[in-house]
Amino acid sequence: MTWSALARAATTAARRTLAQPGLAVVSVGFYLLVTAAVTSLWRSAAEAHGGEIAGYSGLALTWYIVASEATVVAQRVRLIEEVGTEIGSGAIEPELLRPVAAVGVRLATEIGAVLPRLVACLVAGAGYAALVAGAPIATGSIGLALPSIVLAVVCNIAAQHAVAAASFWVRDAKSAWYLYHKFVFIAGGMLIPLEVLPESFESVARLLPFSAMAYAPARLASGYFEPGLLIGQALWTAVMLVAAVAMFARGERRLTAAP
Amino acid sequence: MRATFRAAMLESWANRRSFWTQLAAMFVNDIAWVAFWVLFFEEVGEVRGWARADALMLLAVITTAAGFVLGVTGNVRRVASVIADGELDAALALPTPTLVHLLARRIEPVNIGDLVFGCLLFALAGDPTPARIAVFAFGVVTAVFVYGGFLLALGSLAFRTGRGEVGELGFHAVTMLASYPVDIFSGPTKFVLYTVVPSAFVSSVPVRLLDSFDPQWAALGAGAALLSATIGVVSFQTGLRRYTSGAAWTRA
Amino acid sequence: MTIVADRLARSFVTGRRRARRVVEAVQGLSFTVEPGERVAFIGPNGAGKSTSIKMLTGILHPTSGDATVLGRCPWRERRALTRDIGTLFGQRSQLWTELTPRQSYRMLGAIFGLDDRRLDRRTAELGALLDAEDLFDVPVRTHSLGQRMRCELAACLLHEPKILFLDEPTIGLDLLAKQRFREMVVRLNEAQHTTILLTSHDVADIEYVADRVIVINHGRLIYDDSVDRMRREYFATKLIEVGLMHPVDRFETLGASVVHQSDLSIRLVVDTQVLPVRDVVDALLERLPVADLSIVDPPLEDVIASIYRVRSS
Repeated sequence: MTWSALARAATTAARRTLAQPGLAVVSVGFYLLVTAAVTSLWRSAAEAHGGEIAGYSGLALTWYIVASEATVVAQRVRLIEEVGTEIGSGAIEPELLRPVAAVGVRLATEIGAVLPRLVACLVAGAGYAALVAGAPIATGSIGLALPSIVLAVVCNIAAQHAVAAASFWVRDAKSAWYLYHKFVFIAGGMLIPLEVLPESFESVARLLPFSAMAYAPARLASGYFEPGLLIGQALWTAVMLVAAVAMFARGERRLTAAP
Repeated sequence: MRATFRAAMLESWANRRSFWTQLAAMFVNDIAWVAFWVLFFEEVGEVRGWARADALMLLAVITTAAGFVLGVTGNVRRVASVIADGELDAALALPTPTLVHLLARRIEPVNIGDLVFGCLLFALAGDPTPARIAVFAFGVVTAVFVYGGFLLALGSLAFRTGRGEVGELGFHAVTMLASYPVDIFSGPTKFVLYTVVPSAFVSSVPVRLLDSFDPQWAALGAGAALLSATIGVVSFQTGLRRYTSGAAWTRA
Repeated sequence: MTIVADRLARSFVTGRRRARRVVEAVQGLSFTVEPGERVAFIGPNGAGKSTSIKMLTGILHPTSGDATVLGRCPWRERRALTRDIGTLFGQRSQLWTELTPRQSYRMLGAIFGLDDRRLDRRTAELGALLDAEDLFDVPVRTHSLGQRMRCELAACLLHEPKILFLDEPTIGLDLLAKQRFREMVVRLNEAQHTTILLTSHDVADIEYVADRVIVINHGRLIYDDSVDRMRREYFATKLIEVGLMHPVDRFETLGASVVHQSDLSIRLVVDTQVLPVRDVVDALLERLPVADLSIVDPPLEDVIASIYRVRSS
């Protein structure tokens, strides 16, 4: 019963996204702008570097950025801040008066809301990449990249809810969204493939959950057939989902407890 | 005018706690950019004539110029919503020129943080000899006029179309594209960045002047500044004339 | 017994370090509510109304005291209780503005475990009961606030709760919308015997909705009796405010007393036990150059002050 409720929440949220085409146009437009800028940077870098950088050709880098940017740009940028504000202001209270846990419904609606935007971005991004750089290198790894992108989004949304739940205790926790995003940008490999980082950085970044949120699907999209990445992502996603649920459960106890 | 500015200052200080956290966030953002360029050029070396030092100067120019425009004349980004929400009527009732009042009315201290960061970055990484300081200042001033004029023209579209997504996208476009060296783009894209979305003049042209001063490029930068500011002011004023006469007409 | 509150108390700690202090929001609140009652829970802002509702719905633990709602302890069995109670917080929306109410109801219905057939039946039933069928299929953002509140009311009734908690539901509504909303709440109670517990700081909410009233002030219960009795004892007056077209010197007031008079305005107090308001208004309209006239309830603060006065004398 709970699962069907969550599925319904996700589809309703997806419908809400589709009911606001203006916003969708802005986010796809924004996505194409970033993708165009960052892919141009990397393509000219590859060209200046004898055709490839850390094993990535210009074509591979283009598909890398198309995937890595989509996983992040399709989401609400200030998710941590917005959820944190709703916790801090008490706007979340009515959700505690439902038979399904608030965090479950929230995760489901957020994922549901992102998916249509994600699809739109990916279609636009794939079109752009095919146009300026050419078809993807290996269809097998592209096949893996699609589920990987969804996992990346789910993992990221769950992690952001776990961070936002700190607002049950600390008033300014919601400002963490800025820092969080910078980690995704660099340690997560969104702007820069992890192989390009200095070796010590790279090995640290591979151990962090952020690599599951951008690098993994981007690596697969760039033509490397590495199914192990999906397993790592699945693990991190599970960890983040458990963390979000646990943080919310503790936070709700804190919210309702006597002083 | 000074009173307006003062009111804006006081308002922006009212919430000091969130001011500091936002300022910290802005610094984190800028430092992440520094990290990105350092890591990027560590592996890549040089791209189409751009090396690490140039990229850092690009960052210094764009943060200083955008920090000034979005921080000191904070309303310039909100022109569209000011028009659409009817805030303009309050400004029209005042004796000061509407545009001047509007621009001076809002200070965004967070973006002032950007401005400080940009100057600091130039001071630390820009080899600030007197001559270079002068060129940097000149470049930033031209960038401010190009960027501010563009945003003003973009916002003034709201006089004709109502609040639109075009303005929001245009803002992101010019800001983001100016964050990268213009030479990574080629052909038609590059042409667009020197004309319709003049992001090249917001960052790359000033950096080129810093690299080696060329009177021709300097004149081009100054010309772009003049043109962009003129387009911004003219589109605001003609829009405003339409707006006030239209409003009078509905009232009658 | 539907609700039993037994010496409920709740305090909050506010401020930090030296500015730290303990605020007693609710102190020793005891009362019971029978099935099908319509109880107004009133008091000025900050009296402890919302805190009490939060304890009775289980989203706040009391500092001391006890309560049962439908035989359950709300804060220990919150999740189980949610299936039997409905809550409407006047300033918090359950509906998504971009979607139609029906689309939101599908999601809320699923959350409360209703299958589609039951949900459709219930939605139709509520649509008829609340005169809202035609509102269910247009996006919420196109509703007026009053229409939207009726749709919000339907949203918290989908799972057929036995008790409905309404926390300041009429806040921000215009006069007609308020009256419409009150009508719907009474209709619901009469048709489905839903127990109603409503908080408000609007005297009219009590008069039109409740059959019983509990007044709290500074976290304490200061009055608990039928609305009829309260009406007799404390709502015996109405204020009439009159705007004039031109100044007048003298006029007949039939026994209403003038509390304020200036060139173009007069304010009178009518003791409705002695004299129907209608008679006074008729007389005023006949004899004075009336430009504008309104009849208002005495503010809640005055009612509370007179409760204290009666108690102490």
